[in-house]
Amino acid sequence: MKNLFFIFKSAIDDFSRNKMRTFLTSLGILIGVFAVVVLIALGLGLKKYISDQFEAMGKDTIFLVPGKILSGGGFSGSASSFTGTFDNRDIETLKKVNNVVSVAPIALKSTKINGLLKEDFSDIMFSSESLLDVMGLEVDVGRFFDRSDVSKRAKVVVIGGKIAKDYYGNAEEAIGKKITVDDVKFTIIGVLKSKGGGGMGGPDYDSYLYGPYTTGFIFNPDKKFFRLSVKTVNENYVPQVKEDIKKEFLKRYKEEEFSIIEPTELLSAITSIFNVLNLILVAIAAISLVVGGIGIMNIMYVTVSDRIKEIGIRRAIGARKSDILSQFLAEAVLLSSIGGILGLGLAYLAVLSVQNLFPAYIDLTSVLLALGISSAIGITFGVFPARKAANLEPVEAIRYE
Amino acid sequence: MIKLANVSKEYVIDNEYTFYALKKANLEIKEKEFVSIMGPSGSGKSTLMHIVGLLDKPTTGKVYVDDKEISRISDDELSRLRNEFVGFVFQQFNLINKLTVLENVMLPTIYCRKELNFNPKERAISILTRFGLDKKLNSRPNKLSGGQQQRVAIARALIMKPKLILADEPTGNLDSKTGHEIMDLLTELNKKERITVVLVTHEIDIAEYARRIIKIRDGEVV
Repeated sequence: MKNLFFIFKSAIDDFSRNKMRTFLTSLGILIGVFAVVVLIALGLGLKKYISDQFEAMGKDTIFLVPGKILSGGGFSGSASSFTGTFDNRDIETLKKVNNVVSVAPIALKSTKINGLLKEDFSDIMFSSESLLDVMGLEVDVGRFFDRSDVSKRAKVVVIGGKIAKDYYGNAEEAIGKKITVDDVKFTIIGVLKSKGGGGMGGPDYDSYLYGPYTTGFIFNPDKKFFRLSVKTVNENYVPQVKEDIKKEFLKRYKEEEFSIIEPTELLSAITSIFNVLNLILVAIAAISLVVGGIGIMNIMYVTVSDRIKEIGIRRAIGARKSDILSQFLAEAVLLSSIGGILGLGLAYLAVLSVQNLFPAYIDLTSVLLALGISSAIGITFGVFPARKAANLEPVEAIRYE
Repeated sequence: MIKLANVSKEYVIDNEYTFYALKKANLEIKEKEFVSIMGPSGSGKSTLMHIVGLLDKPTTGKVYVDDKEISRISDDELSRLRNEFVGFVFQQFNLINKLTVLENVMLPTIYCRKELNFNPKERAISILTRFGLDKKLNSRPNKLSGGQQQRVAIARALIMKPKLILADEPTGNLDSKTGHEIMDLLTELNKKERITVVLVTHEIDIAEYARRIIKIRDGEVV
């Protein structure tokens, strides 16, 4: 114990005499640990972001899309050969399935929108009154379109908060105003609460317009939908409902002509892709740790050569080989741990500075990993120089000038 | 206490011829003795001292410490003997300059694995005080005079209460006045503390401090 204290004290004394050398030697490990920890933090943030998006979509919801997009938990490589879409008959079929609460067909149109302040392109989503429920949307001002709007093919729209702000200034101003969608005039009956999201390639629900799907047939004469969203009683019914839907749809379509997607399934497919990507990035970053380790090994060899006489003196007064070994090993571990701790600190600051843009975070595992890896590198790369020091012949070492 | 029987030390040079640093040397050092090993430089006296001090092993022959043959004992055991049994004093002092005087003197105690029957720091301070170095405890050795450095080295040799002190040309780097002071100190340790002292030197007036002088020439004890 006294020995260990002495070893670390003399190592720290040595470092403070060679501050520049110590810093440069630890720099390799510092950069490596920084890169690994930041990349892991970004990966974790991305995963959290994606799963939050899916959480918002609702775990009790199932999607039906044409073609086969998922197979065996991953995205299938082959493009869909089936280009058809769903129609009204499919909606009726879905409504009859047990434990289905609501069905929202979805048709999307990207077109020119003409409001009070602005004229620009935007997306309009045509669906049923169930969309509110299925997508977990909330109305801020006014109301969402209802069943009667759908059956009357009313020319009404509900708009996202961002649209209201951009085209009318604010939500209250937008209510009751006319908005022109591809030369057809609609009345704004409601503005949605901001849902966040968007960016990162995900859909930004605040920048959408929402209208009854029946009205949407103006732009969609084939009366086709590219997606059907089905809300179940709760997420426990998802597997059963999925099976029942499959049974019903197989009566009309071939197996490869439609896909039933659970959000959780999609989530795990996406996260597994991101996990692999992240792992590759972290592995590349880890190369710099190895380079840093080699730097430590190099400087430890120099240190051993510089201190042959000291090693001889210590051996003459009774130090064992293992005492010399642990002294130099401790110095190597201390060097790499200094790098590891500084790298971790820097990574923390970096993550902190991007946190309001991106939900990156450092978890306990990466802290332990960073510290563990940096001391492991110290041991791995320090053991060869330390063994060289320990195996010096005492007589030759003490005669060395 | 230490006995060398037919001890030879050979070095093979360039795989061609063999150089004998020691040739069948026989030597016995008894407890509480003060012995000088004398010879010109290159005579093998340093090799002899390294073997006596368990820093080096002979090529052939046997070394006995307290009647125990040491060629078969492990490196760790040799380290332990150097730590507890022997104290070295060198010509170049061999102090570690990045440690303080006090730390240098205490250094052997950190390599001791058994329970010490003294407090290392207190004992170090008391020896250094006795040697007149109580004002230099926290100085670096290279800031001291040669005589002071050699006294620090002797203090380090004494800290573990050794039975044997080996001094290799202890006055070689000192002026004659300081050299005699160091010799007086070693004599006092031998007389008052009954520590065995083995001295290696090529100067006759230094060798004569000892009660017995062993002469060595060309690797042979004469």
